[in-house]
Amino acid sequence: MTHPSEDTLVRRARREAALALAIWLVACVYSVSYCYLNGYERTADSLTFVLWFPDWVFWGIVVPWAICILLSLPFAYRLMGDEPLGEAVDSEEPPASEEREVQHA
Amino acid sequence: MPEGIAQLSVGYGPIIMLLAMMGFSVWLGTQAQKAVERGGFMQGYFLGNRGLGAWALALTATVQSGGTFMGFPSLVYTHGWIVALWIGSYMVVPITGFAVLGKRFAQLSRRTGAITVPDLFDARYGDQRVGLVASLAILGFLTFLMIAQFKAGALVMKLTWPGTESMALIETATADAVKSAYDTRYLIGLGVFALTVVGYTLIGGFLASVWTDMFQSVLMLIGVVLLFVLIVPYVSRDGMDQPTLQAVAATGDAYAFGPGFSTTGLAFLPLGAAVSFFFIWPIGGVGTPAGMVRLMACKDTPTIRRSIVLLSFYNGLIYLPLIVICICGRALMPGGFAPDEIVPRLAIWAAPDVPGGSLVSGLILAAPFGAVMATVSTFLVVIASGVVRDIYQRFLRPHAESNEIRWVTYGVMVLLGVIGVAANINPVQFLQKLVVFSTSATASTFVAPALMLAYWRRATALGSLAGMLGGATMVLSLFTAGPLVEGKPMFEPYQLLGLDPIVWGLAVSSVLSVSVSLITPPPPDELVAKLFDAPPSAGAATQS
Repeated sequence: MTHPSEDTLVRRARREAALALAIWLVACVYSVSYCYLNGYERTADSLTFVLWFPDWVFWGIVVPWAICILLSLPFAYRLMGDEPLGEAVDSEEPPASEEREVQHA
Repeated sequence: MPEGIAQLSVGYGPIIMLLAMMGFSVWLGTQAQKAVERGGFMQGYFLGNRGLGAWALALTATVQSGGTFMGFPSLVYTHGWIVALWIGSYMVVPITGFAVLGKRFAQLSRRTGAITVPDLFDARYGDQRVGLVASLAILGFLTFLMIAQFKAGALVMKLTWPGTESMALIETATADAVKSAYDTRYLIGLGVFALTVVGYTLIGGFLASVWTDMFQSVLMLIGVVLLFVLIVPYVSRDGMDQPTLQAVAATGDAYAFGPGFSTTGLAFLPLGAAVSFFFIWPIGGVGTPAGMVRLMACKDTPTIRRSIVLLSFYNGLIYLPLIVICICGRALMPGGFAPDEIVPRLAIWAAPDVPGGSLVSGLILAAPFGAVMATVSTFLVVIASGVVRDIYQRFLRPHAESNEIRWVTYGVMVLLGVIGVAANINPVQFLQKLVVFSTSATASTFVAPALMLAYWRRATALGSLAGMLGGATMVLSLFTAGPLVEGKPMFEPYQLLGLDPIVWGLAVSSVLSVSVSLITPPPPDELVAKLFDAPPSAGAATQS
């Protein structure tokens, strides 16, 4: 559940992360199942080609790979937004030691 | 095009290109040093002043390494088209690698002032134990991998020496190369490699590592394009199906199908392994400490977006053509040499008719060497930052002056170089397996805790600790069980239900992270609000 005061970047980044993992899952399920069903335990007699690729490699790997490349454009330029990352605090000392000093005080 | 392969000779091109690459890398180190000096030492030396642009981020932040680049062509040559499925998950690596954690890690590292991954864990939970466990995991898993890469660098130098008979670039499946590695050329190569990499990394820190990594990535792309143009049209002059059909004729039907051609009787990529590799590369890429640090160092959110697009096109241009090239290689050169030699043999075979042929061969051969240098350099920075920031500064000298930290850093890097050389005088083995082991172990340790760190307000320090320790223990147990229970060689894991340890490690880590977080007291509201909520001024502005 989203907290009402949560930073916009956190909300958007969470949604984008979920979408990225969904794309990974779809790619995994499609490629592995297509290649397993069409590319395992066959004989060369049944082999056809698209460009240099055996049919099952073309449809199971090359096509989804090309789709992912094309998908990266709308994913990066439409779905993802830009937010300011904020100013970096001083990094010369470990951050948590400061935090603990404040808490202990 | 020359027809035979028996008389192939390395020539002077490769060694000239290697020396040129080393010289250029040292120059990049000096340029990086100038950029580092603009900010504080810690932020500049270990994080490049948080200024990484899209090209630098895209070409350096994922799971590519010397081992991956050099082992992959050998696998295609040996097992055939099924390796397309083995590497197929790289289609989503750009999206998962940058969109899952990129924005939040970049933001959190700024809000907390974190320089390293353990810094970030420590700051997120306000608990030193989380940072300490993260530090120890990084030091443990990456140090072994870095040491193994020293050997790869030394072997490249040895084997590209003019007059060298063998052209194998790594040790796997080349027992003769391993045996003969114990010689003067190997030791000279080891010394020169260590001096060069430690030297330029010490001079320029994180930025030197990133810039040389980017340089080798560009070089790799040039090498692949050159090989493709020189090899593929020639082999497929009678039809695009000819490379595969000729390779099948030289091997067997299995070369064109899953689970792949094998002479050992063991299936190369059964279904469980195919699923596992969709975890190892994309999810492993999310969890690699070197990748996470680069996300922390990126300049802004447009950089992350552009990196996704750049890397998507880059991966497509590298891996798919390389598969076709190596299938053509099998058609051209059916056997009689170590599979690891396929890229150098193709480079040397194809180049004679090209103007400056020896240098073209050298350019192609120098690319894997650059990949090894960049990998070692990356690990040097991550490990040194772990020792200096997360142990020396955090536990021993919290208020040490910048100059003291600088000299301790230099000392640690030199020490790592000495360890790398000493450990490889008697060369370590299993480089390729170490890459998979290290990727599986770091992903199982860090992915679930990192996702919780970034997105789950209720996550607790104990939940994160349980996830890290549980994931790491699961992977280590399965890698130990392989040799002990099944009598497999070192770093060959026990594959429970046919799945790689990374799947089980991620599962155990996720379950433990969530369940332990839910049964332990929630983290302090103030700490969570500081890291998850809009800054007060921005919130006020939005409400008004």
